[in-house]
Amino acid sequence: MMRKKFRLPDLGLVIGGSLVGLVLICGVFAPWIAPYHPNDQELLYILAPPVWADGGSAAHLFGTDSLGRDTLSRMIYGARTAMTVAAVASLGAMLLGAFFAHLAGYFGGWVDWIISRTVEVWLSFPPVVLSMLLITGLGIGIDKVILAIVLVDWTRFCRVLRSEVQVARGQDYVAFARLIGFSHLRVIMKEILPATLPMLITLLSLQMGISVVVEAILSFVAMGVPSDVPAWGQMIADARIDMYGAPWGLALPIAAIFVTVLSFNLFGDGLRRTLDPRHAANRGT
Amino acid sequence: MNDQTILHIKNLEISLKTGHKILNGVDLAIRPGRVLGVIGESGAGKSMLGSAIAATLPRGLAISRGSIDFDGLTLTDMNAKTRRDLLGRDIGFIPQEPMSALNPSLTIGHQICHHLARIGLRTAQSREDRAVELFSEVGLDRPRDLLKSYPHQLSGGMLQRVLIAMAFASHPRLVIADEPTTALDVTIQQKVVELIARMRETHNTSVLFITHDLQLAAEVCDDVAVLYAGRIVETGAARRIIEAPMHPYSRCLNLATPNLSGPKARLMILPGTMPSPLERTVMTGCEFAPRCPLAETRCHSSRPALEEIVAGHHSACHWPERSGMIAPPATSAEQVVPTLGSAMILQAKGLGKAYRQHDWLGRVRRVEALRELNFEVREGEFVGIVGESGSGKSSLTKMIVGLEDVTSGTLEVVGMDRATTPRERFFDKVQLVFQDPQSALNPRRTIGSLVTQALEARDSQPSAAERKDMVAALLAKVMLPPDVAGRFSDQLSGGQKQRVNIARALCSNPRLLIADEIVSGLDVSVQAQILELLRELRNEVGFSLLLISHDLAVVRHVCDRTLVMCKGEIVEQGPVEEVFANPQHPYTRQLVAAALGPVVVGR
Amino acid sequence: MIIAILRILARRLLAIIPVFVVVTILVFGALRILPVDPAQMSLPPSATIEQVEAKREAMGLNRPIWEQYTIWAKGAVAGDLGESSQYRMSTAAVVLDRLPATIELVICALVFAVGVGVGGGLLVFSARDTVLETVGLVVISAVMALPDFLLALLFILVLGVLMPIFPVNGRLEPGMQVPTQTGFLLIDALLTGDFRAFFSALHYIALPVMALGLAFSPTIMRVLHASLVNTYQQSYILQARLRGLSGREILFGQALKNAMLPVVILVGTQFGGLFGGTLLVEMIFSFPGLGNLMVKAMQTSDLSVIMAISLIYCATTLLFNSLADALAYLLNPRLRNG
Repeated sequence: MMRKKFRLPDLGLVIGGSLVGLVLICGVFAPWIAPYHPNDQELLYILAPPVWADGGSAAHLFGTDSLGRDTLSRMIYGARTAMTVAAVASLGAMLLGAFFAHLAGYFGGWVDWIISRTVEVWLSFPPVVLSMLLITGLGIGIDKVILAIVLVDWTRFCRVLRSEVQVARGQDYVAFARLIGFSHLRVIMKEILPATLPMLITLLSLQMGISVVVEAILSFVAMGVPSDVPAWGQMIADARIDMYGAPWGLALPIAAIFVTVLSFNLFGDGLRRTLDPRHAANRGT
Repeated sequence: MNDQTILHIKNLEISLKTGHKILNGVDLAIRPGRVLGVIGESGAGKSMLGSAIAATLPRGLAISRGSIDFDGLTLTDMNAKTRRDLLGRDIGFIPQEPMSALNPSLTIGHQICHHLARIGLRTAQSREDRAVELFSEVGLDRPRDLLKSYPHQLSGGMLQRVLIAMAFASHPRLVIADEPTTALDVTIQQKVVELIARMRETHNTSVLFITHDLQLAAEVCDDVAVLYAGRIVETGAARRIIEAPMHPYSRCLNLATPNLSGPKARLMILPGTMPSPLERTVMTGCEFAPRCPLAETRCHSSRPALEEIVAGHHSACHWPERSGMIAPPATSAEQVVPTLGSAMILQAKGLGKAYRQHDWLGRVRRVEALRELNFEVREGEFVGIVGESGSGKSSLTKMIVGLEDVTSGTLEVVGMDRATTPRERFFDKVQLVFQDPQSALNPRRTIGSLVTQALEARDSQPSAAERKDMVAALLAKVMLPPDVAGRFSDQLSGGQKQRVNIARALCSNPRLLIADEIVSGLDVSVQAQILELLRELRNEVGFSLLLISHDLAVVRHVCDRTLVMCKGEIVEQGPVEEVFANPQHPYTRQLVAAALGPVVVGR
Repeated sequence: MIIAILRILARRLLAIIPVFVVVTILVFGALRILPVDPAQMSLPPSATIEQVEAKREAMGLNRPIWEQYTIWAKGAVAGDLGESSQYRMSTAAVVLDRLPATIELVICALVFAVGVGVGGGLLVFSARDTVLETVGLVVISAVMALPDFLLALLFILVLGVLMPIFPVNGRLEPGMQVPTQTGFLLIDALLTGDFRAFFSALHYIALPVMALGLAFSPTIMRVLHASLVNTYQQSYILQARLRGLSGREILFGQALKNAMLPVVILVGTQFGGLFGGTLLVEMIFSFPGLGNLMVKAMQTSDLSVIMAISLIYCATTLLFNSLADALAYLLNPRLRNG
């Protein structure tokens, strides 16, 4: 009855995945792709419009900013900053959050109580406020931004995964693993983690989108990366001043953030649909 | 037929979008005030009947041929609005699971009064009075207080009464009851069945009674239709179909059901499974032929039509009269009763279990789940534990295998004290077969890795080849083909999963096997396979078994002795035949009476 | 019934007190670790070293940190939150002056978000099994990828610059005055009967509210849609249909109450995000509220203001969580009689 059937991959997964891949390539190969150095100023050629607008030139496809820096190059280098933060910070937040979630969900009792209360205290801060507070204390820099995101967003993983762990913990196959003498560590690694992994991966993808936004916010209020590192948030802040004369300078980095976050979200939702065994079973029949 | 039918289903065919047929050429008619039973195992399509009448077929399914007439009107030609107006007014429904059939966030009173308003009671006062009247009619105590309750505050039996009251509130012409007792305890089941019968009489309503339970159908129905793979294979008076079936499937179903009285015979085993809609499409002969003990070449090539054999008794078989010749397999070599060893495998003295429960104010309460249990299991002995939900039988199993701690008394398992010996020393000797294979089998492990999982915890690991041999041996023991080893549990049928579940427990050669409700929720033919498997294994492997079940007949069929549990205590214990033939404790008597039903049907 | 509600609310509120105390300790500790000298900050740059030392002694900064905390806590309970180093006036006064604007903004945004979210969720759900549902869900995911500060900038760009329909700066038309009574501009304008001011305030608050609310609403739509889909799979919905109830009766009479529960919990847990969003949105729209104050305080290391505003953010978030919890209890009788 059960035959291997060719299934079309999830549409969101494909679209999201390819867009994420594109941004990632931009980030990794920025020096080779970008037509100019992001900080090269051409003071004779400031606030140039993009190529499709009146007065645009092919020399600067997306135009230039108020210091005459090439917008396209800054966006490509901005992708590098965004992707670095997204990957490292999300992975860190995931490791920290997943660790505590598995402890709390598996052992329950006072371990769960302490972890849950800690998460509660954490969540009483609006995340934006907490990350800004942390940056005030830590100072600016790409590593500081990553640390701040990890310290703020581990709770997101912890809260969602904890209930996922509890569901898996209630399954009889976990009880059986204990009955045949598996140690706690082994039960968690071999029986529970495989069950929570789909959710973990999905959350990771969604968190990457969130990290991109947080990095943009922090750069926007000049609490993110140093001013010589190009970042989308920074570009938005710079372009705001001249938005009446040069709206494209504002619109383009906004579009970059939007596309990146959207593709991470699509990718994450697609992953959830694909990895969820219940869903997969429905699609199979 | 004539005007004398309330419901007349004519040549009904329900198909998937792909064209595969779920129901095929079904003809049914119910006369006023009669109860028609539709019997079938899961996958036969019996629940589709109710959905077709109410126009609530799941997505992707549609009526592709035939019609449904109700009280002189053709339902299948009506517009949606008129058809909906009939529901709840002229056609009532009694659901399978009362616990989830009422809205959890609205009071019982709100829901029933809303329904009464819909069927035409104008004032709030009249609605409330009528609700109270109805509740009294279905035997609910303190009806006025019930109106203010929420569904979660009531037991399953009470909720089913509420739902029955609602179904009959408008004096409907037809009530459709879809497995109305399956989710309830044995003693409650009996009362609900009696209630439906009484309500039918007072309201002169016709009932379409959908069930998988032959005995129950015999008890409740006037007429019965047996459904197999989307077709009616036999129909006629209920008594005749149970006592003198004219179709091999009905006969086999009957022989596969363990009974509580009469001689203890082996159960009929039907090989294989019911063909799926996909498989049926390519079959040219009788759908039952591949599993039929009587099948001949003609059965595989031409499909028999449903024909009248005796007045009022139809059967779709080429050789209806041969059905009676089907006999259960001979009790092989006179059923060698395995000699019981003298050694004690399990001994409980004054065993008790108490929980500390926190209520929402944080107050701690002590709840005694088990009290003063004294019993033993000898080597090679099969012992049954019967009791209804809340009797503490599940707590007991968890305690024996060590998933929960002993709080009082002593429990000696395989010569070791459960309370003081660490868990690790037991794990080879005591194994548990879980109730729900869906939850007990990790969906991300292959069957081969599942059945030998117990070895992974040992210090010395077998080689891959040794492990492969073990997998094959274990699968052979539970009569599964060796090629399932590479599959995942989602790819197996319910019965196959339960076999894997048993094979896994046998992996470490346990001295004591505990089986917690392992056949509940399985179809009759699958249940027979599992029960016979247990008996086979007893001769082959040799272990003691503690079988927990709510079904007395199952326990009688498999076990030597039985314990009867009620509210955390053992109220009676002894050899199965003695306990069930001559129950002493009032609770046991009640259980036995409920399980037998008012009508004792012989074979 | 009412007593039961009050009791649940009281229990919830009592439960957040210890959490809040822990939060104050953490924030206090964190701010003291910062490489900033509050004594120096609170004096003019011309102050001598002796003056700074004297101030340190007076502020108790030479004592162990837990003693400093006790001093702060005693003051805080009495309503004294210290002195703002930027404004050289009482922190409590500075903060309270800005609080109503932010509360007005966040409440309007919440109402807008819940309205749009619930409406949109119902709309998408009632188009179920059609192409419109898919289109709706795609639009929802797209809007979800636009966080509040990007929406704010986009609105400014589109509705402020390209098609100047809405003003993008401040709370009220320049030159207009409304006598302060409650501090909530919309209410004050109504109280004085000044409808011109009321509509002006509405005009000015529209974009910030839309940016905040629209950023939050797709999450609500999504959760409500998923929750309705889930509810419709429950047996009691089928039973209601079998009793002959119409589609509308089932949606509004049977399903919605159950399906709203996850939405209420979502709004409770995500309220912090919405409230935190005011910080950036206020900054972008030069809206004179707490957020703007906070950003300025962070830039000038005005510790007592940072502390006070952080605590207000936490307290409000906790309060809303509790309100949502209490509401969830009300909606779910199974919890109520637990």
